[in-house]
Amino acid sequence: MSDDVKALSAQLASDPQSLVFLRLGELLRQKRQFDAATRVAQHGLERHPHLADAHDLLARIFADAHDYEHAFDEWDMTLRIAPQHTGALKGLAFLYFKIGDLAQAESHLQAAKDAAPDDSTIEQAFAVIRGEAGATLAPPPGRATPAHQPAVPSAAPEPEPPYVAERRSDSVSALPDERIFAGLEGAQEGLLLLDAAGLVLGGALKTPEGKDVTDAVAAYLAGVSQESGRAARLLDLGSWRGLSAEGQGGHVYLVQPTPESLLLLMRDRSLPLGRLGLLAQRAAQVARQWLERQR
Amino acid sequence: MTIRAVETWTLEPLTTYVSEAGARLVLLMTPAGQVLAQSGFSRAVDVMAASALGAAIVASTSELARLMSQPPFAGLSHQGQRNGIFLSAFATDRGPLVVLVVYELDASSLGLVQLFLEQLVADLRAASPKTGVPKQVLAADFERELNDSLNSLFGR
Amino acid sequence: MTAPALARALDLVTRVRGVRGAMVVSRSDGLVVAEQLMEGIKGSAVAALASSLAGRLQRAMVSAGLGSSQFWHLQCDQGALLVVPAGAEAGLLLVAVTEADVNVGLVRLELLRAAETAG
Repeated sequence: MSDDVKALSAQLASDPQSLVFLRLGELLRQKRQFDAATRVAQHGLERHPHLADAHDLLARIFADAHDYEHAFDEWDMTLRIAPQHTGALKGLAFLYFKIGDLAQAESHLQAAKDAAPDDSTIEQAFAVIRGEAGATLAPPPGRATPAHQPAVPSAAPEPEPPYVAERRSDSVSALPDERIFAGLEGAQEGLLLLDAAGLVLGGALKTPEGKDVTDAVAAYLAGVSQESGRAARLLDLGSWRGLSAEGQGGHVYLVQPTPESLLLLMRDRSLPLGRLGLLAQRAAQVARQWLERQR
Repeated sequence: MTIRAVETWTLEPLTTYVSEAGARLVLLMTPAGQVLAQSGFSRAVDVMAASALGAAIVASTSELARLMSQPPFAGLSHQGQRNGIFLSAFATDRGPLVVLVVYELDASSLGLVQLFLEQLVADLRAASPKTGVPKQVLAADFERELNDSLNSLFGR
Repeated sequence: MTAPALARALDLVTRVRGVRGAMVVSRSDGLVVAEQLMEGIKGSAVAALASSLAGRLQRAMVSAGLGSSQFWHLQCDQGALLVVPAGAEAGLLLVAVTEADVNVGLVRLELLRAAETAG
């Protein structure tokens, strides 16, 4: 354990109520010791549940660990406590950028800029979203510019990379199907979006052994959905909202983002069914936004 | 799935039933074996055979119930390896009717077939014409009526 | 599997608050084997529809490489269905019909315990 971590840990141990956990958690995050950083942040939140910076710290740890779902939850909580928290606004902008919702990303960045007009990282983030060459979103502080970055555009702008051009097209329908769930865990092996006819709109499914079963499962899902609706209707249970199932090899969760679409999530048994439900709701929201843009 | 009827008032109730119960074949007939409507059959000879055998089964089980001094059985089912059959007799204003249902075990179940039968019976009772005693049928009339029925049932 | 064993199995489930009824259903036929239902729950309909949905879900899960379903939960606006397989070779289903705000985890546990009792 490095000296600074030791020192901060000792301070925290001698005064558990102090806010030194924020510095310690941040240090551990920068050292990519995510488990330790998470524990420190969570212990700190137990004592300071309404501290916006603590939620922001935890969100950044989750984001670095690619747990975007929990990162979203924590930044959302941060903004509820402190609506102009620039860290949370930038963090959410990053997450929206990851899933391709550029409008939301820009909106959050603008709010961050309004709260902190002198923050230069916000302009950098805008540059990425608006597709200017050479920018990367939220680079770690102090890192030198990578040598492979293209030169700053001269009077005759260089052609933009296809990915960036695609993002700047008029509608996000230019996005390849697989990017519907970009940024969400398991987008290419455990998320499947179908239309009312059972045709695949996006995502893919793979067995735990890696075999692609997208088409095979899609063929059955429309029938499952129809039967769910019929059972709910005939048993006077109202409208069906979701169907979750535990299998020997994993769990599934089926929801209807819209009345004309169906979304299936599939995960191995290590992910609890309750959490799968939260992930399903998040993915359904992403799917709804994507479907709305197709109209 | 094409549904055809000699008596057109049976079409809508039968269409709903076939869809909900997931039935593979359905015959609606009188206890004497005269077919009113069919769904899923592709050959006239199959319809004739099924209606004759179905009527015979209902007649023999009714006799069994009589010997046991109880009302006629509400339904009779047989389950095979891939398919099941279900027969039920019920009264309407048009007269007593029999329904023969064949279902695939992969696509439906006895529970579903029976579940939606109640609605079928209710719909048929609601739609049935209020007729008097059927007229006497002569042998020549019978053959002509049978051929007319088969033509209707197969859309010819 | 005896009638008393089935009744005991259903007792475990129906005593959970929010459970409106519990049944043992024949998986292949969709017919009721045993039931304890409150007024207004149509057992034959629950049995037929639960077994039909179980069959379709099973095929989807097997095709996804997840094997047999061990528990499933249909969530609706005004209630829910919770189902676990039971009996030899999972020829039966244990079904609970519940209010929308039932403690799903508790019902699931009791269904699993009941499935062992019924088996």
